[in-house]
Parts: sequence; structure tokens; C-alpha cells
Amino acid sequence: MTKNNDTISKRKFMEELYRYKRGSVTRRHFLGVTGLGTATAVLAGAMPALRPRRAFAQGDIGDRVVLATWPNYHDPANFDAFTEATGAHVQVNVFGSNEEMLAKLQAGGSGWDVFVPTNYTITTYVGEDLIEALDSSLMPNYDPAAYDPRFSDAGSVDGTLYAVPKNWGTTGYAVNTNHLDGREMTTWKDFWDITMDAYSGRTMVHDYQLTTIGNALKYFGYSFNSVDPNELAEAEKLLLDAKPHLFAISSDYQPPMLNGDAWLTMCWTGDGKQLNTDMPEIAYVLGKEGGEIWSDYYAVPKGAPHRDAAYALINFLLAPEVNAKEVLAHGYPSADANTNALLPEELLNDPILYPAQELLDALEFGAAATLTDPNRAELLARFKSA
Amino acid sequence: MRIYAIFVYLFLYIPIGIIALFSFNAGRHASQLQGLSTQWYGKALSNPFVMDALETSLIVAFVSAICASVFGTMAAVALQGIRGPIRVVFDLLIYVAVMIPGIVIGIATLIGLVTLFDQLNPLVASLWPTDAPPKFSMGYGSLIAAHTLFTMSLVIIIIRARLAGMDRALTEASSDLYATPLGTFRQVTLPLILPAILAGFLLSFTFSFDDFIIAFFVAGSETTLPIYVFSSIRRGVTPEINAIGTMVLAVSLVLLITAQLLLRNGKSRT
Amino acid sequence: MTQRGRNLVLLAPAGAWFLVMLVVPLTVVLIFSFGERGAAGGYVPAFTLDQYANLPARWTAFKNTLILAPVGTLAALLIAYPLAYFLAVRADPKWKTLLLVLVIVPFWTSILIRSYAWIFILGGRGIPALLDWIGIGGVRLINTPFSVLVGIAYGYLPLMVFPIFVNLDRLDKRLLEASSDLGAPPWRTFLQVTLPMSLPGVATGCLLVFILLMGEFLIPALLGGGKVFFVGNALVDLFLQSRNWAFGSAVAATLVAIMLVTVTAYMRLIRRLGAQREDVSLM
Repeated sequence: MTKNNDTISKRKFMEELYRYKRGSVTRRHFLGVTGLGTATAVLAGAMPALRPRRAFAQGDIGDRVVLATWPNYHDPANFDAFTEATGAHVQVNVFGSNEEMLAKLQAGGSGWDVFVPTNYTITTYVGEDLIEALDSSLMPNYDPAAYDPRFSDAGSVDGTLYAVPKNWGTTGYAVNTNHLDGREMTTWKDFWDITMDAYSGRTMVHDYQLTTIGNALKYFGYSFNSVDPNELAEAEKLLLDAKPHLFAISSDYQPPMLNGDAWLTMCWTGDGKQLNTDMPEIAYVLGKEGGEIWSDYYAVPKGAPHRDAAYALINFLLAPEVNAKEVLAHGYPSADANTNALLPEELLNDPILYPAQELLDALEFGAAATLTDPNRAELLARFKSA
Repeated sequence: MRIYAIFVYLFLYIPIGIIALFSFNAGRHASQLQGLSTQWYGKALSNPFVMDALETSLIVAFVSAICASVFGTMAAVALQGIRGPIRVVFDLLIYVAVMIPGIVIGIATLIGLVTLFDQLNPLVASLWPTDAPPKFSMGYGSLIAAHTLFTMSLVIIIIRARLAGMDRALTEASSDLYATPLGTFRQVTLPLILPAILAGFLLSFTFSFDDFIIAFFVAGSETTLPIYVFSSIRRGVTPEINAIGTMVLAVSLVLLITAQLLLRNGKSRT
Repeated sequence: MTQRGRNLVLLAPAGAWFLVMLVVPLTVVLIFSFGERGAAGGYVPAFTLDQYANLPARWTAFKNTLILAPVGTLAALLIAYPLAYFLAVRADPKWKTLLLVLVIVPFWTSILIRSYAWIFILGGRGIPALLDWIGIGGVRLINTPFSVLVGIAYGYLPLMVFPIFVNLDRLDKRLLEASSDLGAPPWRTFLQVTLPMSLPGVATGCLLVFILLMGEFLIPALLGGGKVFFVGNALVDLFLQSRNWAFGSAVAATLVAIMLVTVTAYMRLIRRLGAQREDVSLM
């Protein structure tokens, strides 16, 4: 590595990042030029990784903090380390859909200190006055310039910071290839077709309207975010036809995939990575037609009972050294260049975390309208109770 | 017949056995045994959220069982002497309270109280002299109130059944002998219905301690033990949950056996 | 204070409780059921019958509940009755209390944890693996109506055993002896003496289990894989996912109405049967 690379300016870094995202340079080139590819202890030492300690030392943050997040989305060892460093225990509540989180906050008195909303929901939380504006001075580890704006933009609404990026990822499907008998799975059409055929009784779909309806819409080539009644009607018919062939409707799909009860499931990046690590015969596939690309954020709900602890926890988890451990444990990519600098190269080249550009290009971010669209909510509820 | 009974007991206890077995698992997973250890017991006992949830559950169960037994007994005794529309209304209310599924009680309490609080809170705030008026919200109060609704109705039914079997001549004789109503209650009625009150209290406590559905809706930011268990199950069960379940079971067994022994001793002494 | 005044004071706490915790919430549910869903969820005041018109969208959930609640009650009864009979009539009196306690003990671990044990037993590595080992392959148990039924029968067994046991235990054993002394074969004794005498217990147990099952949500959620849907699951979904308080209220109100009708009809029936039996015994 040359000196020149070491001192790459922020501006140059962003330029390179955009070039990379446009696909005009390879990942290897990008990582090389920006110096991010050298996940070395030298770099780790130079990074602001040691800052968190100072932040924790100040003041007593209480003995607990409550986190509402998603399944398989953290390294439990990091929570233990947080407790050790601050004395605050972390209670993790897990949710399977953004709707569930919203419902809990709308009913009042959730008791959460930190929650993890997805990009497209944040404007709704702001509109409903359920989310706190964040004070970035309380999160010294948050280095906005280090983040790919595509995955951090949604955290600010009208210039106010409400949420800081956690991880980004895609929604594809995980398939146990042992039962494929040579068939190729590349599209959402394949997903639904094999569900109603050779994989009958072995498929799981999310208990989550955005992805379950969105990926049914993809069967017909419609937008993942469609709220068009006719398109939704077609998706509903597909879902109802497929329902008798499903193993379960649940966002907690790892246990049945691992014990062999389920062979195919809608799946998020990191779960795909975890499943693939535990059982190499489980492959992660992104539908060629497209589907969802998303970015999750840390946010603080209005009236959080342990606000200081909330900031301390977010700040702790954003520290690149901690964040890198998180990524290694859960397999969801981070949009933070500082974190990626600490990750091994093979992970940064992993096709599950960083799919090929042409697959990424077809993906859509969720749209705010799908969260609150009453027809989509009712469609999923009808599908489940059918 | 005996073989059949053995089969039913196996049916009842194999799942319990599995829970207890996996509580000693050395590994992280609740369904793959990887050596034996008691580490999860230590983890559960040192986890403040588990202890907090246990405390919340015990407080809620105890307070609601007390409320249910006291108010339920009062109502049952009073209803003995009441005829007419009031009695009809109460009979109907008790019937509805017992018959409505827990989930509807939970939902109705949630939206009912949230709506009520939305009206009350601004009112209280406008009348309150300082800047920090008290705010009604879901929590201990709503949990205890919702549990008591159901268990109080149970207590009333149990005690009325007992009172119905009671000889009315006894209370009449007592008042003929110029005992005050309170005296009659303490000397005659109470001893007769005490077993029913105790049974009602225990039933109320058990119901409240094990209830998940009502608490799920009305607990607000409080976490009872069943709510804690539910959210743990969703984030992938570790043997910590099995350890909690096994401990609750063991403690209840010890309490039960102690009570049995005390009762037996008490009997042999008299 | 007059007797009447005293009684009213004694009734006041219970009355207040019923008012705030039962009458007000149920009224709110009823009012909401004629309203509309807010833009981001919740409730907006309105007067419309739309929510009730939309009820057929939950037809399957109602159907599942109305089928599986009675079937589950029956399953629990079929398993519980012989056990209660054994405990009350055949078991060694020395062990009776212990055996009875052993029936309730599982009830003290949360139903959640117990259901989780069943996920393991009925899942791919449990019974199906055993069956596969003895040569019966391809059996799937978890996430089927069957697994939900097992969970129900398991979860509600003690509630069924108890009332029946209490009834049978009170039964005068001399009646049974008299019957067999008069030359009646055991099955006739059972059909003509034991069974009729235990009917009140059976009626109580069935009522208890049926009421709880009509609102069941956990067992189908855990053992049904989100596929075997009860009204309870539909309600949880409407309030905790799609945030449609208006429609949720309509479903809840309908469930309460169904329960009022079925339970009242059931109690009438039981009362009539009871009355008939008394006539018989009087003759």
C-alpha cells in the first residue's frame, strides 16, 4: 500500500465509492484505491475505534437498555461486552416486520430505548411523532462521511437526523440445493413455481407484507412496491394458490431450515450467509426480476425510558471494531467504510453480501406508501387467515 | 387402565423432561445437546431482565389475587342478600366477564384504556398545578386491573357455590342471638367460606402468573415472565429459557410439598 | 346502615371494576367497530357498517376456530375422562393426591415453554425422525391442524381432568358395588351409574376448555406455523400488524356475540339434561 492511498481524501473516497457503485470499477479496485482492502491491525489502531471507551466513562447510564430489533441480527458477545463496559444489560426484543414495530409504538408505552426501523418507514415515524431527533454529538462514533449515502440518506428527514445506519442488505431466498435434482433457481418465478411443485410443504414466506406481497408481485414482473389494486389482486391469487403448499408463514426461518423441515425460504442477506455457513448446501439466491434492497437504522423512540443508555448503545455498536464483529457474526454488510476496513477481504468479496451488479440494479428500496397502504396490510392478513 | 394412566403421564411429562434436559445444555441451542452444564441457570439468575420480569409477575399475581379475593368475597356475600335489577345486572356482568376470551379482554382493555387515557391526560394536565402532571399509561395498573376482572368473577362464582350449599339457618340463628352482621360474618360465614376463598386466591394467583395473552396487550412497557419468555422464543431459544421454566417448576413443587407437609402436621396436632 | 345499604357498599368495588374494566372497554370496542382505520393505522371515528361487511374475509379463521375448539375440547375430554376415572375410582387412595398433583404440575411451566418442547418433538428431528428410522418416511407433523390439536389437548388436559375427577370422587362407591352385586357387567355399571353421575363434571370441564379455546392464539401460532389460523390469531394480526383497530373491533365483537350464543345455548342444554335426569331419578 502506498502512502498516497493511506491519505485518500474524503472527497476522493466518495468519488471512488460512486464509481464502484456505478459499476465502472471493480470492488477490488475500489478497495485497493481507497485503502479499505487492508484489514490490518495498523489501520484498526488508526481508526477512531478506541473512542467509545471515553464516551462510556462519562456518567452513569443506568443498568439497562431495551433494544427492539430483528432476528439473528447481532453478535451476543457484543452485548456482553457492552454490559461489561457500561454496567447496562441489553434486553433484545425481536420483531418480524416493520408493521409490528409500528403497531407497538402506536399503541404507546413500548418501553424501548433503541429500535431498528427500515429505510422506508422513517418518514412515517416522523409524521406520527414517534421518533426522536438524534443528537449526533452523543454518538462520537458516528462518522457520516464514512457511510455510503445510498444507505444512510433515509435516516434524515427534512435535514433533521432521526436514525443512523445499521446494515444494508437484500431480500432474496435461501434454498436447500440437496433436493433440487439439478434444477436451477434464479428467479422469483422459480421460487413460487417450485413451491407449488417439488418443494410443496417445504417453503416458508415472511410474516411481513412488504416482502411476501412484493416478491409475489415480482412473479408477474410488477414493482415490488406496487399498490395498484389489479396487480395486488394477481399477487393475492398467487399467494392463496401457494398457501396450501407452504410449510409456514414466519420471519423466523433459520431453525426449520437448519433441521431440514423447510427447504426454501424468503431470506435476508445475513440469514442467507449464516445458513450457508452452517449448511453449505443452502444457497442464497436473488431473483433476477428484482426485489428488495434495504437499509436498516438505529433510532430512538419518543419517550425512551433510558435515553442515555440508548445513545451509549448506539454509539457502542457503531464503533468500527464492534460493528466489524457484528458483521462477522450476522453477515449483513455495513455501509460504513471504517467498518469495512476491518473486515477480511473474502467477506468483502462474498457474493451473498455483495451480489453482482446486474442483480443489484434490478432491486428497489421499499416505498413509504407500502407501509401504510391499507390494502396491502389487509391482503397479507387475508392471506394468513385464509 | 393403569397402563393407560402411565401413557397419559408420559404424554404430560415427556415435554417437561425435554425442557429440563436442555436446561443443562452446554451449547447455545435449545434443540441440540452439546454436553452438560449448569451455566444457563447462572445466566438466568444474573440476568436483571429475568429477575425483573419475575418480580413483575409475582407482584401482579399477588396484588390481583388479593384484590380478586377481597372484592370477590365482598360481592359474593352481598349478592346473597340482594334481589331485583341490581342482582340481575351483576349476574350478567359476571357471566360475560368469565365467558369472554382472554384475547378480547386484552384488546378491549387496551383500546378502552388508551382511549380513556387520551381523554383524561390533557384534562389532568390542565388542572394540575405544576408543570409535571401525572400521566396515565399502561403498566402495572392496567395489568392488575385486567387480571382482577377475570379472577374476581371466578372468586365470586366459587364463593357463591359454597354459600349456596350453606345452611341459611346458621346465619339466621346467629342474628336471632343478637350478633352484629359483622359478628355473624366473622363467626359463622367466614369460617365456612374460607376454603373457597383460599381456593379462589390460589386459582387467581396461578391464572395471573401464567397469563400471557391479556398481559401481551395491556402490559405497556412492563415485562412479565411469560412476555419475557415469548420474546426470547422469538429471538431463538437459548437454554436460559429452559432453565427459567425448570426453576419455576422446581420452586412450585417445593412450595406445594411444604404446604402439604404443613397441612398434615397441622391436622395431626389438632 | 340498613342491610341493603351495607350490601351496596360491599358491591361497590366489584361494580366499579366491572364498569371500568368491562363495560367501558366493551363499549369502546363496539363503537370502534363502526369506525374506520386511520391513514397510518389505528382508528378514526365514523359510522359505517364496512367493518362488518368485511367479516367474510376472516371466514376461515372463524371456521377453524369453530371446528377446532369443539374438536379440541372433545380430544381433551377423551384423554382426560379415563384418567380422571382411574384417579377417582381405581387408584390406590394412598397415591391419589400425589397422582392428582402430578396432573397439574406441568401447568406451572409456562404454556409457551411447553409448546416449544412440542415444536421439537413434532419437528423434523423428533417423531418424524423416529418414524423414518423404523421405515415410515415422509411424515410431517409440525404446522398442521394435527400438531395444533396435540398442543391443545396437552395444554388443556388438567382443566378437563379436574372437574371430572371431583365429580367422580364424590360418587358413592357403594353404588358401584351395588350395581355389580345385582349382576350388572362392568360396562353397564359404567354406562348406567358412573357416566351419568359424572356428567356435571364433564359439562364444566368442556365449558372451561371450550371458552379458552375460542380465544386461543398461542398454540396455533407456535404449533401451526402461522398457517392454522384461529380468530385469536386474526385479532392479534389486526391489532399488532395491520393496525386496523376498527376491523379488529368488529371481529372481536363478532367473536363475543358467537360466544354469548353458543355458551348460553350450551348451558340451556346442560340444564335441560340435568332436569331430565332429576325427573328420572325421582321416578
